[in-house]
Amino acid sequence: MNFSSLNLPVIKLLVAKDWLLFQKQLAACVLAGIVALCLIGMATGWSFYLGSLLLIIVLVSASCFSISTSLLVERKEHTLAFVMSLPVTPLDYYLAKLVGSLVTFLVPFLVMLAGTMLVILFTPLPDGLVVLSLLIFGHVLLAYTASLSVAMAVESEGWNIFAMISSMVLINPFIMLLGQLPAISDHVKTDTIVFGPVVVSILLGQLVVGVAVLIATGWVHCRKKSFY
Amino acid sequence: MTTAFSLSGVTKRYENFALRDIDLSMPEGQVMGLVGVNGAGKTTLLRILSGLALADAGAVEVLGHAMPAQQVAAKKDLGFATEDMRLFKTRTLRWHMDFVRAIYPGWDEAYATELLRRFDLRAEQTMTGYSHGQRVKALLMLNFARRPRLLLLDEPTTGLDPVARDEVLEALADVLRDEARSVIFSSHNTKDIEQMADTITFVHDGALLASREKEAFLDDWRRIVCLGAWLPDKIAWPEIAAARQNGSILELKVRQFSDGLLKRLQAKGVEIRSTEPMSLEDIFVTTVRAGGVA
Repeated sequence: MNFSSLNLPVIKLLVAKDWLLFQKQLAACVLAGIVALCLIGMATGWSFYLGSLLLIIVLVSASCFSISTSLLVERKEHTLAFVMSLPVTPLDYYLAKLVGSLVTFLVPFLVMLAGTMLVILFTPLPDGLVVLSLLIFGHVLLAYTASLSVAMAVESEGWNIFAMISSMVLINPFIMLLGQLPAISDHVKTDTIVFGPVVVSILLGQLVVGVAVLIATGWVHCRKKSFY
Repeated sequence: MTTAFSLSGVTKRYENFALRDIDLSMPEGQVMGLVGVNGAGKTTLLRILSGLALADAGAVEVLGHAMPAQQVAAKKDLGFATEDMRLFKTRTLRWHMDFVRAIYPGWDEAYATELLRRFDLRAEQTMTGYSHGQRVKALLMLNFARRPRLLLLDEPTTGLDPVARDEVLEALADVLRDEARSVIFSSHNTKDIEQMADTITFVHDGALLASREKEAFLDDWRRIVCLGAWLPDKIAWPEIAAARQNGSILELKVRQFSDGLLKRLQAKGVEIRSTEPMSLEDIFVTTVRAGGVA
């Protein structure tokens, strides 16, 4: 990979293009996310569970829309050949897709993450939920990077759908697993926010694995022999 | 003379197809027509030249730049349009024009406007509403208006109605008036190629059958109609690509016509009734059916 010869102006244009194409879905996701946060913020039993479920659905939808709009549709509708005929290298394209996809996903993701934190801290909900929420958001981000990597490396639509669904479906066993860990479950219903070694390790693990997956994908992508 | 592109020993393998050991080059300012049946390797050849596919072996140079290492420099002066390439359907043609203009400093807005008018395209319409012919014309407009030094066109007239086809060929002829610009294009329609190309290249089953100047091709090939019952031996008569006896009429298609050949035929007792030039399509079909020797 030669980073010194990146065509930055074209990379910026490609990122802006992806942002533009994702705007409508982005607005819908943010709107649905706000509804979910309002339900969570009501802090009653039924509204909390309904809001949490809706929030996870919105995050999964944002993830799928982002990957689909940015990568899968481009390949399926033969616009990839148009993009790759522009003065870009496979590395330029990879970085443009990486940044474009991350931006289109991270905007609704961070809005909802910030909203969730605010709702937990400024409503009667126990503040201990902050840690559990961060770990769940970390899982969603990791699942997104895994799906993004598969979408970049594998051209089969079936495998891409499988990767998106399976990585997100794992959120249920992940939440159950977190519930079994005393370092987390002991503080969920209290007003103390405890970032113990277990929590920090899981968060760091999610971050490291996510970054490693994206780097490996870049390496694979730059060795591909067809771009159309 | 600088070369628009050169391929040396280029090989590209897919699961069910391989482009094999291609050696081909074209000087700048020329127009090369690629002729071949579906699946012959024309599109693969153009994709390798455009940087969309990487060769498994061999050397590729485009406008003096080694591919794929210097593909950004090459692509800055390269236009590439294929029949199956698509634009972003939710965006307007104007959005695409602005997008391409931001990338290519040589974008000629006046020429783009002229092409919009000539191709009868509405810039403010989204691509969703465009017909196939309009999409192809829009793609060609986006390529032509950036004034590339080398244009790679894969089946640019396929699927177009006669009016659209004529508009596209006329615009292409305008591009070709600038002698510094080079074009390589493939087409099923050999008449288009015969009309536009300086050099003809036959591709069949992943191999290059022939690549020569159009005039030389057309001058060398002849259809000779004779009277007599005689079928030539292929080894003794390498000039004859095909022979067909129909009653007393003998039809010969020859790849190296000369007066000497006519005399040799007469010496075999056949009476020459007519000698006619052959169309490019006929030459190509005969070449393929004769085992690929042009």
